[in-house]
Amino acid sequence: MKRLKFKKEACIGCQLCAQVCSAMKEGIFCPDKARIGIETYYDKGELRYADNYCILCGICAKNCPVEAITLTDHIEVDEDKCIGCGVCAEKCPKHVVKIREDKAKICDTCGGDPTCVKTCPQNALTFE
Amino acid sequence: MSEVYGYQNCVLRLDLTNRKITTEPLNMDWARKYIGCKGLSTKYLYEELEPGIDPLGPDNKLYFTTGPVTGTSVPCSGKLSVTGKSPATGTMCDCSMGGHAAVKIKQAGYDMIVLEGQLDKPGYVLIEDDKVEIIDADDLWGKGSHETEAILAEKYGYDHAIISIGPAGENLCVMSCINSDYYRQAGRGGMGAVMGSKKVKALAIKGTKGVKVPDAKKMVNRVLEFLKEDCLQEDNTYVYDTGTTAFAEGCGDGGIAPYKNFSDTTDPNLDKYNGDVLLEYRVGKRGCGSCGLGCGNFIKWGDAIVEGPEWETMSVAGGNAGACDPEQIIRYNQVADDMGLDTISAGDTLVWAMEMTEKGIHDFGIRFGESDKEVEYLKLMARGEGVGKDLALGVKKCSEKYGGEEFAMHCKGLEFPQYEPRGSWGMALAYAVSSRGACHMTSYMANDEVFEESIPAYSAEGKGEVCYGMAEWNNAKFSMCICDFWATCSYEIMTELLELTTGQKYTLEEFGEVGRRVTHLARAFNNREGFTRKDDSALPERLFTEKLKTGPAAGQVIPREDFESMLDQYYDTLGWTRDGVVPEEILKTL
Amino acid sequence: MKITITLRGSLTKRFGPWKKKEFEVPDNCTCTEALKSVGIDPDAIPNFGMVVINGMKSKREDRLNPGDELKAWSKITGG
Repeated sequence: MKRLKFKKEACIGCQLCAQVCSAMKEGIFCPDKARIGIETYYDKGELRYADNYCILCGICAKNCPVEAITLTDHIEVDEDKCIGCGVCAEKCPKHVVKIREDKAKICDTCGGDPTCVKTCPQNALTFE
Repeated sequence: MSEVYGYQNCVLRLDLTNRKITTEPLNMDWARKYIGCKGLSTKYLYEELEPGIDPLGPDNKLYFTTGPVTGTSVPCSGKLSVTGKSPATGTMCDCSMGGHAAVKIKQAGYDMIVLEGQLDKPGYVLIEDDKVEIIDADDLWGKGSHETEAILAEKYGYDHAIISIGPAGENLCVMSCINSDYYRQAGRGGMGAVMGSKKVKALAIKGTKGVKVPDAKKMVNRVLEFLKEDCLQEDNTYVYDTGTTAFAEGCGDGGIAPYKNFSDTTDPNLDKYNGDVLLEYRVGKRGCGSCGLGCGNFIKWGDAIVEGPEWETMSVAGGNAGACDPEQIIRYNQVADDMGLDTISAGDTLVWAMEMTEKGIHDFGIRFGESDKEVEYLKLMARGEGVGKDLALGVKKCSEKYGGEEFAMHCKGLEFPQYEPRGSWGMALAYAVSSRGACHMTSYMANDEVFEESIPAYSAEGKGEVCYGMAEWNNAKFSMCICDFWATCSYEIMTELLELTTGQKYTLEEFGEVGRRVTHLARAFNNREGFTRKDDSALPERLFTEKLKTGPAAGQVIPREDFESMLDQYYDTLGWTRDGVVPEEILKTL
Repeated sequence: MKITITLRGSLTKRFGPWKKKEFEVPDNCTCTEALKSVGIDPDAIPNFGMVVINGMKSKREDRLNPGDELKAWSKITGG
């Protein structure tokens, strides 16, 4: 099964991944609303990488109390079932699940052709 | 009212004197004519400032301005325009600051932030979308920018962009800069002192609102094509490999690298501190918000740490100082950033002081080769202590006080960038006519004269028109804003990006008109402050009387009549008077 | 004759990954002729910049001597 992979040495912290994700999924350029959250920052003389991206671990699906989340080769949220309880967001080890308008927003790999991967100008993100 | 796309249609205005915070719609007529960033901020500056105000007084304003493409997936769009009246020159000054503040300001819902008046005591501004507060900064005042950023990031989170000044800005040094992301600056013209005079230590910004465009999916796909097919072609991507360190060797080869305060152009020790040497110590790469190219080199040499150095810094702490110690170059860069001093202006002042000392005109206690002393002197300049008190005045005022004006390398009070005009005559014109003093960013003549060799370097012929062509292009481009390093970004691409982002159409001619308009308006601001041809002509005598001795440009000097001819050509191309004044019939179209 | 050709700027990506190499070129040839003989045609590369002989900017029609270093730059923008 293909998953997102991140090579931090190649990342320049541009956040184009989050820009295009939010544009494609939410119709607006807004990294805060994206289903991926990768950025870099300086901290005490070090360059740090915050790498929040879906690794298809399925912990969200396992913990959903109403079985709204399914994991096949991607995550799918049934918004009719989702009650916006936020347990998936709490349990997500990559801190990349967002709850908005009472629904869980989770990366779905853009139908197996992730826009973030296509966009990353330094090939730090791959899908393999 | 129809939907506004690209722009947020919102200006955040802080009346610091009265601690009043308001928002207002963006002037969309001005936005149509000037787009954003440099162009739009110049228009606001021109309209909102009375002539003759004190740049360090309450009537000056500081504009942080984004453009319509800021905060989208347009590559290389993450630069923030920082504009005000310069305390170094008295002209207008627009800086372009990298990092992530531009994107966060736009995402917070603002096209522009205006700081007006002055606080009665130090404060910082917290912006989180609609929440805007002025908070006491007594415990931050006096600290370096780096410690300030660390404290605010700890308090509010690393997802906040932090803009700050160091002690140099607090002490109103005319060479002080404004910092962001530790190692990015609004470097030139003393903008740090403007912020310091307003007693604003920092801004911390987070934004979650988003930028709306007519068709987000269509834009993502089209912009992706521009990214892969144009932005990421090798003509632009060399900047990822080397940053601007490539210019050390390029300028050396081309005969335009300054040596010992612009007294010559060949540094026999260049290979001790060039890009190959420095990049051995690179441990990471970073770019600005929405960058595609990633020019930032994170370098660690022991405890000397910096994202840099750029060519300018390599020169002022290297060959132009007659020095060749790469570790001191890194240290100089780190300390300048932390103290909040422009490496170029501080460096040119220091190397002038070296020449003054060596010639016995005035002993500043520093000689060529002493780049370690440069580092110590930066701290004295930032705090206005000891010999730093005089040197902090910059090379113009210092040379007026002590002599050595013939080799005080500045125009209108802004120190020279690191390109020797005698090796590329068009650079003399570029420095003379740039709207903020000696600056290479508007018309980078060396590109055509030296690196491209499409026009001769040691001639005045045709230079006015070429200089204007570059100014039109860059003034339009920097109003989008698209970063200089997406060098191949054409009018065709930029007008299509504008339509995708705002829904507004610009023909190629209309887009060029924006560049022309910005060139006129910046000049009009300066005319109104009393600047005319005499100020453009006032370049250091060294350029006109001393021949270069070594290197590819050996024997070169610029004859005064050739320089004046270049000025004539430039003014004629723009339709200005021969005294360099924008005439009334053009003024009323702006 | 033997000369060294050094690539700089984006030319290293176009023709590299080598940056510096010795080549056999026609005696006393021009810079352009030397580069063409190793597959680099300055006239056909839109982004071709300057040629440098032994660390000094030169013209494309300048002639080379044995043992010279010929450096070829692409255009570079910025500061």
